[in-house]
Amino acid sequence: MKKTIIFCISIAAGLAVIQSCSKSGTPGKTGTGGTDFDRKGLLTNMSANIILPAYTSFQASASALNDAVVAFNTAPNTTTLAAAQTAFTAAYKQWQSTSEFDFGPASQANFRVNINTYPTDVNQIAANINSNTYNPDLLANLAAKGLPAIDYLLFGAGADNAAIVALYTTDAKAANRKTYLATLSAEVKTRATAILDSWNGSYKATFLAADGTDVGSSLGQLVNQLVYDYEIVKNYEIGIPAGTQSMGTPFPQKVQAYYSKISLQLTLLHLQAIENLYEGKSLQGDGLGLDDYLVKVNAKYSDGKPLNDVIKAQFAAAEAKLQALTDPLSANIQNNNTDVAAAYTELQKLTVLLKTDMTSSLGILITFGDNDGD
Amino acid sequence: MKRINIYLAASIAVLVSAAGCKKNDSKPAPAYTVPTTYNFSNANFADATTRIGMLTEIQTVEKAATTGVVDGAKAKNMFTNTGSPFVTAAYNTSGIQLKDQGAALYQTDALRFIDSLVAVSQSGKVASRGVAGVGASSANAATKYALTANGMNYAQIFNKTSMGGLITYQIVNIMSAVSAGGLDNNTQVNGATALEHSWDIAFGYWGVPIDFPTNKTGAKLWGSYSTQVDSGFHANKILMDAFLKGRAAITAKDSKTFQAQATIILQTMERLTGAAALQEVKEVKESINDNIARNSRLSECYGFIYSLKYNPKKVITDAQIDNLLALFPKNFYDLTLDQLNAIRDAVAAQYNFQDVKDIL
Repeated sequence: MKKTIIFCISIAAGLAVIQSCSKSGTPGKTGTGGTDFDRKGLLTNMSANIILPAYTSFQASASALNDAVVAFNTAPNTTTLAAAQTAFTAAYKQWQSTSEFDFGPASQANFRVNINTYPTDVNQIAANINSNTYNPDLLANLAAKGLPAIDYLLFGAGADNAAIVALYTTDAKAANRKTYLATLSAEVKTRATAILDSWNGSYKATFLAADGTDVGSSLGQLVNQLVYDYEIVKNYEIGIPAGTQSMGTPFPQKVQAYYSKISLQLTLLHLQAIENLYEGKSLQGDGLGLDDYLVKVNAKYSDGKPLNDVIKAQFAAAEAKLQALTDPLSANIQNNNTDVAAAYTELQKLTVLLKTDMTSSLGILITFGDNDGD
Repeated sequence: MKRINIYLAASIAVLVSAAGCKKNDSKPAPAYTVPTTYNFSNANFADATTRIGMLTEIQTVEKAATTGVVDGAKAKNMFTNTGSPFVTAAYNTSGIQLKDQGAALYQTDALRFIDSLVAVSQSGKVASRGVAGVGASSANAATKYALTANGMNYAQIFNKTSMGGLITYQIVNIMSAVSAGGLDNNTQVNGATALEHSWDIAFGYWGVPIDFPTNKTGAKLWGSYSTQVDSGFHANKILMDAFLKGRAAITAKDSKTFQAQATIILQTMERLTGAAALQEVKEVKESINDNIARNSRLSECYGFIYSLKYNPKKVITDAQIDNLLALFPKNFYDLTLDQLNAIRDAVAAQYNFQDVKDIL
């Protein structure tokens, strides 16, 4: 611990001198604090084995979803609907390990909110279908597009599958509805393809080159987005529906995938994806991750235990509490909110570890603000 | 631990800058030290603190807009300190007010903004595109905002323009007078010269504790925003160093140094406004799929940019400000990402924040 303090002070002193004396600091070199962790190796592992495979899979699943929607629109019946629903579920599952990388090309395109803004705005969807006009660029349409809107259109628009099919066949607005569904699934595919192309193009090299720990570095952005995405799990998937931000009043309809009722499955996949990114784990094995970095800088928790051990234990604790719940999560929130709140509490503990302890140990600044409600 | 770091960093910076200025002094340098906190024995900025408190009380009155009708008459009485409107009794008897300290345009704008907010608060409807009223954040139903039919939150526009039309206006006027050498630094009134007292008032308007930024407790308005943008624009340190160094130089009659610090503060206040506008762009992005909260934050951004008009020594021209404001959609509900990025890029270019435009 003493070593850490001296190390931090020297960073602070170093920064102070650089800020006051020269503008030509070498970002990427400051903040290494004399450790020789292979950050380039970490970035290589994450981009080649985790990020690119995630984008590739998501693009493929979005493409398959679009194909299934086209097939459904061509011949709307319960068989083609079921096929579209299956394709949707696959795409939504894959999204859980894709949403964490909202920096670089994804950030430029506002990828995450374009794909997954929920709760979806059923009124706005109805208005867009009725008017048969839709401007994908309006931010006001974010809650009427993407996977959550498709979730509603394929699973929730009618009481059962036969009723849903009727909305695309005999309903007065059937033609408009088909057009809208097709527009949304095509947009998801187009956006997924654009991000994948950017990564396969020049961005991968850009990502590998920015190998420092400053605010604009790849690691800085990746850690910020890992924490931000983690807070989406904690707040949007669990907390807000359970009522943690509304003085206990639950909003079960605000869960992710409310209509397809796979919320909990998705949350478990999402949490696993974040843990995998933290550990640098992929189908290729356990590569360099943030866990290795924390071990390398000998980061300790306040009780003296290695920080990495504490973080891993907390991932397990949060997952265990989530495993105790069942889908549909919205029903759990209505009938068993105590257990949902218990899961939220464990998730909250992990937030502090990731957002405060991990980032300060790695010398990475969190640059997104809290929603302070002002 | 953070405290130690900041303290250390601050003291190093003082040493560095002190060493730097020695070289430039041609005449024998008066011997004086620059303290690390604003604890000058004859410092008095109570009037500035009182006015910030008055502004806070107006904001409290305005908060009623999300639950009922705003008492506009009361807010306006607070603006002119008429009829003992304040909860804090000492403000009522202070003999000072907000209005006469503001830029001329701000004095009329502020009343207009209060009227607009009152009108929204009288609607009794749920806010949506084309409908003035109160709306809730989609993420957090407990967080509510009063928006016009065009999505503007006039409580925030009032807040941000007050920071410009009142606080920045005062600080810039004082610094401008200091660098012009127009303030008496010889005659003592109530234990301080006119120059010392004016400088103290400017510091008080910044709204930070005397041991800032080591201690950030109670930092208000610009004191809060200089911290919020600090990751990309180190305004905390720039301003604190300049206020400390300038004040020590004033007492030591080192005019060259205090005039230089006045120029730094004057210029920083304008740049800080640009940084704050970019900070709001970032907040808009953080609530990008939340129509109501996004509009409120866009209103904050709009307010900061508009407030540049009040700065008597601004570098940006009125035409350039109008060009920036023209980048906003007429109806905030119609905002697109491209428009938001255009606002960001134009402000960043104006104030040379291109490298940090996304992290402020």
